[in-house]
Amino acid sequence: MSTINFANREINFKIVYYGPGLSGKTTNLRWVYQTVPEERKGEMVSLATEDERTLFFDFLPVDLGEVKGFKTRFHLYTVPGQVFYNASRKLILRGVDGIVFVADSASNRLRANAESMRNLRENLAEYGLSLEHIPMVLQINKRDLPDALPVDMIRAVIDPEGKFPIFEAVATKGKGVFEPLKDVSRRVLSKLAEHT
Amino acid sequence: MIEPTVALYGDAFNRAAAILEDLIDQAQVRYALLVDRKGFVLAHREALWAPRPPALDSIATLVAGNAAATQALANLLGEPKFNELVKQGEKQGLYVEDVNDLTLLVMIFDTDTPIGRVKLFGKKAAGELDEITRGAVVMPRELGIDKEFHESADAMLDDLFGN
Repeated sequence: MSTINFANREINFKIVYYGPGLSGKTTNLRWVYQTVPEERKGEMVSLATEDERTLFFDFLPVDLGEVKGFKTRFHLYTVPGQVFYNASRKLILRGVDGIVFVADSASNRLRANAESMRNLRENLAEYGLSLEHIPMVLQINKRDLPDALPVDMIRAVIDPEGKFPIFEAVATKGKGVFEPLKDVSRRVLSKLAEHT
Repeated sequence: MIEPTVALYGDAFNRAAAILEDLIDQAQVRYALLVDRKGFVLAHREALWAPRPPALDSIATLVAGNAAATQALANLLGEPKFNELVKQGEKQGLYVEDVNDLTLLVMIFDTDTPIGRVKLFGKKAAGELDEITRGAVVMPRELGIDKEFHESADAMLDDLFGN
């Protein structure tokens, strides 16, 4: 749930990038960090191993600006994708408002995509949540790989009912990075408006 | 969007801010922050003599992450919780006290300030903040964020993230 600080007139939303290891979650955040103007972003914090694998999370606060007198801010997080870091992944989901699921297009990562989605559902369930409650969009990353699987094939294992918006991306080049972020932000705002 | 949240404003915020002010005077710490367990700053105060604080968002996020990891460790060991968290460097230290299951009190102090003093006044302040923050829990529908807010924010997303 978003945090409202009336005294400082701030509203904060938490968006989490989820997905299998090496699918490009941190790359997305780095691109946002490099592209958003200095005055609209805070410091990027990365808790990573020596070989730059996410250990706990990456964090980037982004200011949307002042809306009806409220400073509105999105806190962007990534989770560690590697299977054995599930305890950390679960912690990052606490208080999540929206999710960008980053899937990997590589042909040998189809199962990892499916397992990560199942893991997401299980971890949300531990907070009493489900994807019925949390806005989510899908980013199919690494579309420039020579062996990239068809989008439909990836969708079939992570979203067989076709319920979530889907975006193709090459995050290393910034392609398809902002579209899913903007879309999930819209859905988060819309969800908040529904409840007020 | 279905969880309750802590929304400090009006009298509740003023009371919490006054507690943080007193804490800074009594414990002689640089900065005192009330943060929620999701990593957002609810209120903060700093000593007049203190330099500009580091990024508060980052501090709140890391403290909340650390507290969550500590809680998970406690659970693994069969403990309901581990109570306090102290980090001490050469020049500064950081002390975190559980306020309740929603919020944490963070104090940053110079290492020449006795840690016992920091803990003593930190625990006292946490007790007082417990009641205030519990009283400030609201459901999303009570927040008063209307459709107009949503539409204005929506338009600004294009500006920030591109069309």
